Amino acid sequence: MDTLLLARLQFAATASVHFLFVAVTLGLVTLLVGLQTAWVLTGNPRYERLTRFWGQLYVINYVLGIATGIVMEFQFGLNWSGLSRYVGNVFGAPLAIETLVAFFLESTFLGMWIFGWHRLRRGVHLALLYGVALTAYASAFWIMVANSWLQNPVGYEVRGGVAHLTDFSALLTNPALWMALGHVVSAALLTGGLLMAAVSAWHLNRRTTDHALFRTSLRIGVVTATLAITFVQGFGFAQFGPVGAVQPTKFDSDNPDADALIADWTARFGPGDYLPPVPANVGLGFMILIGFGLGLLWLLLPLLWRDWIIRLRFPLWLLMLALPLPFVALILGWIAREVGRQPWVAYGLLPVDQAVSPISPWLMATSLTGFTLLLGALAVTNWVLLARHAARGAADPALGRPPAQPPADDSRPEPAFA
Amino acid sequence: MELAWYALLGLFFAGYLVLGGYDYGVGLLLARGADAARRRAALNAVGPYFLGNEVWLVAAVGILFGAFPVLEGELLAGCYPAALGALTGVILVTAGVQLRSRPDSRWARAGWDRVIMVGSLLAALGWGVVLAALLQGVPLHVDGHVAGVTHLFTPFAAATGLALVALVAAHGAAFLTLRLPAAEADRLRPLARRLVAAAVAAIAVAAVVGLLSDRVRAAAQRPAVGVLLAILLVAALLVARAALGRGRVGVAFAATATALALPVVLVGATLWPYVLVSTVEPGASLTVADAAASAPTLRLLGWLAVPLLPALLGFQAMCWWIFRGRTDGRAPVYW
Repeated sequence: MDTLLLARLQFAATASVHFLFVAVTLGLVTLLVGLQTAWVLTGNPRYERLTRFWGQLYVINYVLGIATGIVMEFQFGLNWSGLSRYVGNVFGAPLAIETLVAFFLESTFLGMWIFGWHRLRRGVHLALLYGVALTAYASAFWIMVANSWLQNPVGYEVRGGVAHLTDFSALLTNPALWMALGHVVSAALLTGGLLMAAVSAWHLNRRTTDHALFRTSLRIGVVTATLAITFVQGFGFAQFGPVGAVQPTKFDSDNPDADALIADWTARFGPGDYLPPVPANVGLGFMILIGFGLGLLWLLLPLLWRDWIIRLRFPLWLLMLALPLPFVALILGWIAREVGRQPWVAYGLLPVDQAVSPISPWLMATSLTGFTLLLGALAVTNWVLLARHAARGAADPALGRPPAQPPADDSRPEPAFA
Repeated sequence: MELAWYALLGLFFAGYLVLGGYDYGVGLLLARGADAARRRAALNAVGPYFLGNEVWLVAAVGILFGAFPVLEGELLAGCYPAALGALTGVILVTAGVQLRSRPDSRWARAGWDRVIMVGSLLAALGWGVVLAALLQGVPLHVDGHVAGVTHLFTPFAAATGLALVALVAAHGAAFLTLRLPAAEADRLRPLARRLVAAAVAAIAVAAVVGLLSDRVRAAAQRPAVGVLLAILLVAALLVARAALGRGRVGVAFAATATALALPVVLVGATLWPYVLVSTVEPGASLTVADAAASAPTLRLLGWLAVPLLPALLGFQAMCWWIFRGRTDGRAPVYW
């Protein structure tokens, strides 16, 4: 067994699961901010109920985002100690900032938001959700700064075999950063919007109670997803130029820049296979196909007029069937970006085989199997819980339930704190 | 500058042991009864703080990566099984607490509660072994890598792991006597006192095993400081026990919290100026200054992160303030 391969598999598995959950987190929290703001401004109880229902799904989804995120953070040290040794001076900085400035606050705010219902003033409670959303975006930003540095190392110099930071602003103006950030954020909005539209469509199609409620969230979801897909496409195609320029071997290795770069690497790092494996680009093609397919959401938009989208029924089915697509596209896009930089951890600077920890393959295999099973089981459990709570409807979500009301989902005879 | 970041790393890790420590203590105490309502009341005592507690660990590892990259790689990879165990525990607790009340059935909730107990045990044990590994030194070679993982399996590491389990259990009980409604808290006090006594015994055993271990004696740069801090730790626990007897639960909780922060101070101070002491090659030992990131990185982090520290601590304090006092049913029951 090969420690390097196992470590790469583990990172790919953890990061894939992480991405599926954090995209929903980022998309839903944005929509929640809108819903709760509408509730506070208008006082309309429908928006309170919408906030509770979608907030409950958001909070359930959040759990796996944290769990996989913590595993990712530890994995840098556990499996990739060479990464911290050789480039930690530069790559570690945005990650440290992310944990301190973004994630630390996000989680603190979220805890107060969940338990602050009926206890805090409405303005304070809303401000907490704004805090959660802003720090979530800050988190996405700093993670993309770190990732873009791996795609295109800038602002450093190598002294004594170790990279040192020379110019932090270069990390923030990295050509690999901004279009990718826009692409990821709009993909998250697309995912959140489509999730909202599809769950609402399920309820409307089944004619469950709360028709008016799910009609509102269907409209919000469809409009959000439709606008987002256009941004996803725009930022996606806008990436080819800048990323192709800094990573000539990524999308198409048959170009003079790639040949020159490989000749340079062969001279500096010795002969080797400096091309990424083919599947990276196969996935990319499929992802672009999904992107075009979801562009058809624009055709559904006119059907919002006089609720034809609900009355015709088949658009509801289309929305439900489309739900897996953004998730598949997320994974494929991520694979294109990450596998496309192989065989490097930091492009042209640190090869993967120098970054992996000197751990016995058996230990690495144990860790890979254990965490893949653990996170896989947690992910499936989480999706089952999400589906059940989505199907249960907005009658009485546990989130924001008034304390005096006996919990409907808890059939114990004694009072709560006996 | 390295010292300031080392202190900050210590602050966040100690903060995690104190705050995450009572999460795990409460988690272990779920084993106490078959009564579902009691288990839920205990988890809701942690309720609003839970999400704000484990982030101290995430922040500590963030500082470790940003400000001490070399240490991050060698410590985690060098203590692979212990770090793996602790990480598994952290994941189980975080998922367990947040998801346990989402299914309706009693058996599903009881199952999740068992997940939380196992997770709490693993997390406390794992971090205990990591702290012990630092104190007993690691086989750090001249090439800068820690060789193998068998160096972890010593009586001292086992004793320290168990001592940390006993410590978080006592701390969790002290937390519950402070947070649960008065009647329930009074019923819990005798158990809390017994757990504190057990923690004293476990720490005494770990201290004696440590003093007898050649590796610990060789690695300790300032043994006197180490012994003094260990005595202080036991003293804090004795204060906690006396305070619990008199019903001064606030003092008791402050004392067990001190007891959970002290191991971090003890490890840092006893090894100073080193952070990883090599057991095979004295010249290969890693000092705090060697382990730190280079000056431009530390300066950048200082400019970007340190001005926000008051906000970080302030919002945590806001959470403690809003939800202060005993659980009274004014906030929703969610976990």
